[in-house]
Amino acid sequence: MYPRPIAPNAKAHRALYMGLVIAILLAWLAPLCAIILTSMRAPKDIATGNLWGWPTEFGLVDNYVGVFTQTPMARFFLNSLMITIPSVLGVLILSTLAGFVLSKFKFRGSMLLFAVFVGGNFLPAQIMMIPVRDLMVRLGLYDTTYALIIFHIAFQTGFATLFMRNFIAALPNELFEAARAEGASPAQILIHVVLPLVRPALAALAILVFTFIWNDYFWAVVLTISDSVKPVTAGLANLRGQYVSAWNTISAATIIVAVPPVVMFFLMQRHFIAGLTMGAVKG
Amino acid sequence: MSSLELHHIEKSYGSYHALRGIDLTVEQGEFIVMVGPSGCGKSTLLKSIAGLEPITSGTMMINGRDVTHAQPGDRGIAMVFQSYALYPHMTVAQNMGFGLRMAKRPKTEIEEAVTKAAQILRLTDQLEKLPKQLSGGQRQRVAIGRTITRSPEVFLFDEPLSNLDAALRTQMRVEISTLHAKLGATMIYVTHDQVEAMTMASRIVVLNAGRIEQVGSPLELYRNPDNFFVAGFLGAPRMNFFAGRVVQVSTGHVTVQCPLVEPFDVAVVDNAKLAAGDSITIGARPEALGIGSDGGFPAKVHLVEHLGRETILYADAGALQTIGSDTGTGNLTVHLPDVAPFTKGDPVHLRFDPADAYLFGGDEQATLSIPKSI
Amino acid sequence: MPNFWRQHRGWIAPTLFIMPAVVLFGVVIVASSVQSLWISLHDWDGMSPMHWVGLGNYQELFRDPQFFTSLKNNCIWLVVFMLAPPLGLGIALLVNQQIRGMRLVKSLFFIPLVLASVAVGVVFTWVYTPGFGLLALVFSAFGATAPALLSDENLVTFAVVFAALWPQVAFCMVLYLAGLNSLSDDLIGAGQVDGARGLNMLFHVVLPQLTQVTFIAIAITAIGALRSFDMVSVMTQGGPFGSSSVLAYQMYEQSIFSYRFGYGAAIASVLFAIMLVFIVWYLSRIMRADDRGA
Repeated sequence: MYPRPIAPNAKAHRALYMGLVIAILLAWLAPLCAIILTSMRAPKDIATGNLWGWPTEFGLVDNYVGVFTQTPMARFFLNSLMITIPSVLGVLILSTLAGFVLSKFKFRGSMLLFAVFVGGNFLPAQIMMIPVRDLMVRLGLYDTTYALIIFHIAFQTGFATLFMRNFIAALPNELFEAARAEGASPAQILIHVVLPLVRPALAALAILVFTFIWNDYFWAVVLTISDSVKPVTAGLANLRGQYVSAWNTISAATIIVAVPPVVMFFLMQRHFIAGLTMGAVKG
Repeated sequence: MSSLELHHIEKSYGSYHALRGIDLTVEQGEFIVMVGPSGCGKSTLLKSIAGLEPITSGTMMINGRDVTHAQPGDRGIAMVFQSYALYPHMTVAQNMGFGLRMAKRPKTEIEEAVTKAAQILRLTDQLEKLPKQLSGGQRQRVAIGRTITRSPEVFLFDEPLSNLDAALRTQMRVEISTLHAKLGATMIYVTHDQVEAMTMASRIVVLNAGRIEQVGSPLELYRNPDNFFVAGFLGAPRMNFFAGRVVQVSTGHVTVQCPLVEPFDVAVVDNAKLAAGDSITIGARPEALGIGSDGGFPAKVHLVEHLGRETILYADAGALQTIGSDTGTGNLTVHLPDVAPFTKGDPVHLRFDPADAYLFGGDEQATLSIPKSI
Repeated sequence: MPNFWRQHRGWIAPTLFIMPAVVLFGVVIVASSVQSLWISLHDWDGMSPMHWVGLGNYQELFRDPQFFTSLKNNCIWLVVFMLAPPLGLGIALLVNQQIRGMRLVKSLFFIPLVLASVAVGVVFTWVYTPGFGLLALVFSAFGATAPALLSDENLVTFAVVFAALWPQVAFCMVLYLAGLNSLSDDLIGAGQVDGARGLNMLFHVVLPQLTQVTFIAIAITAIGALRSFDMVSVMTQGGPFGSSSVLAYQMYEQSIFSYRFGYGAAIASVLFAIMLVFIVWYLSRIMRADDRGA
């Protein structure tokens, strides 16, 4: 362990340490705390400039109910779910298939293909923006959730294939040889050997990709314009324009955008961290 | 009809030749053990027979069928892997029945085969457990059970005992031999452990650098190695080798000279093309060296291993030019069938009876002479 | 036919498996990126036929002061973002203790990482709001007045980068924490026996083992800095007067608002060329590590 663990019986030392950590943590999360506090304030306080003093009344419930009833946030939220969930499923399927092939079958150009998947993942979105937008217009999918679903599946498949390939490559080769020696076809190996063994990887990948897609903003503004298809991120940016100084409403909307990934993260923290750091630690 | 025939199997990765023209015929019911130093191609050959590694050229027949291009599952083989390769998410029963399930056999048939295999391997009580709940020896038996259920024409074993501790290894060795006797099936077994090879094989195949050096029964190989490599590979402790020179050639025998030993006459094979002055290698098994109170040549004890009833001496005999010894030049290994009260630094007189000598020579270091005493 | 399938399933099946990913990724990501390079050689409004201008867009680019402002801002992003790996390492070292409650503390430190960048943008816009924001509150506690960061041409980019650093530091912290937990206890022990402690231990024993982590942290942070778009779009829309624009945002603005797709594609191509340096660096190292591992 580095740094050296603080001894359990060094009580004073421990208390001092925890005090320091909590102070830094508070400073670290201060911006988030500010927005949470603001989301509880009544509009009256905001209007009179009482932002940090004791609130004259609590607006917590009103603000959040207001976001859902007076703004299209509920619609945006639903759109986000309708975009994110099918995209995640698509990514999981495509990347498991591709990762299996890239890790356990030897063929010419497999390394190049792999490099393209990894490299494509780091391209700036702008380099593909115009043709992708044009493609969606020509397919008649522009300004529909399908445009975002197709794009997200395509783009995230790059990262996800890297992820699944590395995971499957780490499974012992002899398992696959044993299955082949027993007469299992590639499809049977996929169903009976790969799928049961990659479940933890799929969980980690699902939450990561969910977060990436839920949080996407650029493609949301490039591929959609109508409120009826916009996801929460683009929606929040819109509300910012409409409710310029109604910080209580904007803060509440921000929290609503932030909650699903944060909840997912807390539910599946270990998977999330494992997924994010994959590759960084080995080698 | 032979159980397995390999005709001129070659395999290369780019410019690296893993297998260079392997020819081998295995009869029904034989237990073939393939041995060789690491990297000799023995595992590659086994995986090629299984169809897990494509070969570059050559043909393979199993029971008269050409299987050179067949899928692994269609070859009539089953394999036990070094790491056992048990599917971690399946129970013992599911692991053993997987091959039959893939072949879409009826459920009752699968159950029957699994039950029978479990009885043979004493796994009946473990059938519903997962591999991680089993001990090493039990896992090993499941890996074997999985091959039995498929009743293959040829069983393949890839260093199956290397992950077990010494005691368990001896036990499993006996079990596999018993199983072989019971099933009467053809088995091909890869190992680097020469004790496994000597004790289990009906015939041993010695591989080196992608080639077969020699094939034969364990005693044949031990007594009558074809060349320097096989002589050095089989037998523990290893045979002593030292440099010598031919001083005179007559029909059927030659006179050989080496430091510390009187020139001696040995019978050689007919095709030994030797001339006076040729360098040759003299081989003597550690058992063939002895200790005398005088005579022989003087040496100094370098290390003693007391093994109970036996003793192994490592002795330094300065002027003797030993070859391929890992203890340094001049070092000889002596195997005494007794308790011997030596310690490091003791002076000894080593006896070497020329009647126990092997001779190796020529470009291939082929065996030119084997001891009369054998 | 079934026989044919049995003989050839060895390659037909994997080909079928990988096809959907290859086709989708190839068409949507790879082909689009290449097509952009082609579009950058044209004058195009997105509707009427494309008009060939050769390198005209690039020549215009090098006479466009806004382009150099954006480029300069991208450099600022790149430089300031390099604070993220050391800061992340610092926090990781701080919280890497096994004490009850530390798990929760670590999780709370991770939070900025999972927030949508739009949310981070809004949060910091609120923090920076003159008169009312958190920053104003802190300044007034010291009797000072906070500058209006987002409307100050000289400070605005730093204000945006600082906001974007927040999740980036959290990302680097996650990497380093995982790295610290994978350290060999034996090596740390050997270091202790050799008398290394504190910073000596960090620089001579710990960090050398974390070179892979450091490399990934730096590479991903650099790529992230160059890709920055969301925060600029949400917090300033490139303003005031284009002073906080970056290449990614300028490209978007030229294409979507001014319908200058050819010009936008040229900006994207320049950005791509700059990022390619980092992507190739990253890829070559990752692939090498992969070869070693295989």
